[in-house]
Amino acid sequence: MAEGGEEKLLATVQHIVQTLGSSDTMTEDILRGFSNYDGRLSLDKPHAARTAAASAAAGGGGVVGGGGGGEHSMPESPTLPPPPAAAVSAAAGRPPPVTSMERTVRTLDRQISQFVAMDGLIWADSADADAFLEAVDDLIGTVQELEAAGTNRGLFDRAEELLSRCMLRLEDEFRALIERPDDAAPTAPGGFRSDGSDDDEDFGGGDGYGDEPIPIAKPVTDYDVVIDALSPGSVANVHQIARRMVDAGFGRECAEVYAAARRGFVDESVARLGVRPRTVEEVHASTWEELEFDIARWIPAFNMVFRILIPSERRLCDRVFDGLAPFGDLAFVAAVRTQAVQLISFADAISSSSRAPERLFRVVDMYEAVRDLLPDLDPVFADPYSAALRAEVTAVCNTLGSSIKGIFMELENLIRRDPARVAAQGGGIHPITRYVMNYLRAACGSRQTLEEVMEGDFGAVGGVAIAVDPDRPTSSLAVHIAWIMDVLHKNLDIKSKIYRDPPLACIFLMNNGKYIIQKVNDSELGVLLGDEWIKQMTNRVRRWSMDYQRVTWGKVTTVLQIGGPGVGALPAKAMMQKLRMFNTYFQEIYEAQSEWVIADEQLRVDVRAAVAEAVMPVYSALISRLKSSPETRHDLYIKYTPEDVEACIQHLFEGTAK
Amino acid sequence: MPATDSSSAATSLGRSFLSLRRDHIPPPSSDHRAASSSDLEIDAFHRHAADLLLDLLSDSDDLLSLAWTRRLLDSFLICLDEFRAVLFGVAAAHQPLDRLLLDFLDRAVKALDLCNALRDGLDLVRQWRKHLAIAASALAPSSSDHHHHQHAPLLGEGQIRRARKALTDLTILMLDDKDAGGVVGQRNRSFGRAGSRDSHSHAHGHHRRSSSGGSSGSGSASHLRSLSWSVSRTWSATRQLQAIGGGLTVPRAHDITATGGLASAVYTMAALLFVVSWALVAAIPCQDRGLQAHLTAVPRSFPWAGPVMTLFDRILDESKKKDRKHSCGLLKEIHQIERCSRQLMEATDAAEFPLAEEKDAEVKEAALELVQVCESLKDGLDPLERQVREMFHRVVRTRTEILDYLSRPHNAG
Repeated sequence: MAEGGEEKLLATVQHIVQTLGSSDTMTEDILRGFSNYDGRLSLDKPHAARTAAASAAAGGGGVVGGGGGGEHSMPESPTLPPPPAAAVSAAAGRPPPVTSMERTVRTLDRQISQFVAMDGLIWADSADADAFLEAVDDLIGTVQELEAAGTNRGLFDRAEELLSRCMLRLEDEFRALIERPDDAAPTAPGGFRSDGSDDDEDFGGGDGYGDEPIPIAKPVTDYDVVIDALSPGSVANVHQIARRMVDAGFGRECAEVYAAARRGFVDESVARLGVRPRTVEEVHASTWEELEFDIARWIPAFNMVFRILIPSERRLCDRVFDGLAPFGDLAFVAAVRTQAVQLISFADAISSSSRAPERLFRVVDMYEAVRDLLPDLDPVFADPYSAALRAEVTAVCNTLGSSIKGIFMELENLIRRDPARVAAQGGGIHPITRYVMNYLRAACGSRQTLEEVMEGDFGAVGGVAIAVDPDRPTSSLAVHIAWIMDVLHKNLDIKSKIYRDPPLACIFLMNNGKYIIQKVNDSELGVLLGDEWIKQMTNRVRRWSMDYQRVTWGKVTTVLQIGGPGVGALPAKAMMQKLRMFNTYFQEIYEAQSEWVIADEQLRVDVRAAVAEAVMPVYSALISRLKSSPETRHDLYIKYTPEDVEACIQHLFEGTAK
Repeated sequence: MPATDSSSAATSLGRSFLSLRRDHIPPPSSDHRAASSSDLEIDAFHRHAADLLLDLLSDSDDLLSLAWTRRLLDSFLICLDEFRAVLFGVAAAHQPLDRLLLDFLDRAVKALDLCNALRDGLDLVRQWRKHLAIAASALAPSSSDHHHHQHAPLLGEGQIRRARKALTDLTILMLDDKDAGGVVGQRNRSFGRAGSRDSHSHAHGHHRRSSSGGSSGSGSASHLRSLSWSVSRTWSATRQLQAIGGGLTVPRAHDITATGGLASAVYTMAALLFVVSWALVAAIPCQDRGLQAHLTAVPRSFPWAGPVMTLFDRILDESKKKDRKHSCGLLKEIHQIERCSRQLMEATDAAEFPLAEEKDAEVKEAALELVQVCESLKDGLDPLERQVREMFHRVVRTRTEILDYLSRPHNAG
């Protein structure tokens, strides 16, 4: 019956370990830690054989239990030892009808009292254990019969009193078998003694990690991992006890003891993962470097706990409490809750802390770890008792999602707040432009996740939701990125105003615009922003370029206008005047603008070509006119030959700072 | 509203403060119309906070029950909402408001850890409830199990033993957390290291497997593994409370004027944060609980000053009662647990079976109360824990909003 459930869980565990990330040393250390701790970490496929053995054993137990609980639990069970003589005589001495029920209870009392008084573990001897279980079964059956009959209250109370003693003893045995399974006799089919005890001593003997070097783990390539903390034989034993306790109405006690016993294992396993519990206050006070380090440990720890440890606990619990719902569910949650909640708390603390943009990528990593886990959690946290825990994981996924959204939005504030005080040297590319563009390009690597959180579609419920498609200019992410580009543009516009030279402002805007276009074109940003956006941006750069030409070279070319030769031609004096003005202008421009920068080579070539195209023809015309004019050609002093001017133009924007 | 003595006293105190208010709150800032409307809003916020507190004081029998604690949290969340509305709705100059808000944010972060600790505390109570439920089910089996009995038979030895076992476990757990909240954390955290006070129970020194020895029938309590606290073992609720409330001073008159009254709203919210945190720590088990922290003299001009003082006094009175002094939480239900289980343990100590009718009735009556406590815990714990989580998230959200607000220009001129 519950076997189907187990298969499902096994499949889940297999799936989960397959989806675990690629091998890295931390994970290996963790595995090593687990295996050192328990010595029974199984790295092979979850053993079909052992599982079968365990369920066979469990099934066998069921038969025994069923027989005991049924109407066959008649007094003279063949396996009972003969009652001591004293007791027989005492019974014989009692006058009125000694019912068979009474005899049964008396016999059971004698028998059980012997077991209950035993000093050592009953389960240290499998024959003892079997005999005790059989007696308990008979007693449970007797109590039920007495209760159903409802005629002999005194006897019922006696039997129940005896049962309560049995249960106290079973509880102790149960706890001991879970905590020290090696103390039990190898009983059930397939049962085996762990040979991991030597390993244990390595760790436990030295009272901690002390001076011994931490062993280097061998590379783990197979993530098909289930921790079988108890051998199938132990599981079978423990299940036998759980079954009796539940049958006797002591299911709550059983679940409590189980949880308390497992909690130690869970606590210790998590402690070995090396995640420190941090208060929110500590997280807020930590530097980002420290937190990055913590996050780098948290993510694999989170995966180990939620993908291996907790599913393994689930599996163990389901086997121990096979067919004993809901006590298995109660026990499971009680065993794992604290550690699960602690891990979740760290993510809550991170989400509540600073939203500095540089935090985006690590928080995305955390979000993705949690989100990817969610669908795999369903079979593990399927029962109503785990629902709250499942809800906590979902909640923290949402919290991380909103945090990502907040961090991404914070980029906008960062741009807006970036002061316009310091101008980029020579009108070059401003650091904010580089920062924002490279940031956005990197963010595009997580665009699926970013689109998800922008849509508010955290953890795509159950993993079956339609995948969001960020790669279109109308996606939430694209719209937001376009908005950020707009904010950046406005910020750059303000920054351009601090240049006292208007043409330098143009150069500054051109440079940054060109850089933006480049970064957009050679990344997924191009897909997000779309061709239309790129076209607009290109037009802007062209317009700034034209503005530059007009503002810088407009007056120069105006000065050089000399009209046609012949009638109406300028007098020689005026032409000389023009040449002098040109010389002054040109020298000023050249001195200033050879220090300016155009970062993009093509743009630099284009701008120079445009300048040359505007200036050279008119200047050459002026020079040749002056040279051919009789009034001026003799004492003509030419400061810049057309070749000089051409050469100077080719040296503009090289950023040769003084 | 039931007019018990104390509540009517509190109400009248509240009223008298209201009437005093106008004399003491400094006049609004120069911009007449804007200021007066914002002033009204801020007044309304103060008054509503006072009303909510008065309402919490209206039934003194209810004080510190689970239901009351939930109402306390509800009131806090309402106030927080109104505070946000007031804060973001009123234009004010950056200084001194920014400084005051940053101070508030510092306190708010500290409340977050408190929320986490309180969640652990509630989980602990949930843990206790499980043992309680075992005792309850042993002594008062539900009628469906025993429908064929016309009237309940006398309690049997088995039932009593089972209940006593559960109650003993419960008592040990409660003692454990009362005496050594820190040690519990330490024990669970210092795996494999020198086993602190548990070591005596480990005859064969196998620390690493777990700290719970529990050799068969030893009767040792060491198998009772309490839940670990999610905060570090040096963390102290007492210190946290002191940090939340410490140095919380009444805003100066010119600060109030300069902020269009917002300074007093920020002060009120910080005070409420402290008061609610303090009351929650009083009620719920926490690592290193202590109620020494106190608000420094709240001027009576604040309408909530009277109710807050009454609340403090009532809770402090409660904590000083002889039977509550050493309690691990003033939550009424915790008191009931303690009382009930003690009563049951005493009544069943060295009992002869069959029980005398009278004794049987006594035990059954106590068991009935046990069932009731179990029920109210069952109904109340989960919602309360959700509210504590809600408080965590709302404080975080408010914090984020305030940070956004601080980074934007928000001044009137």
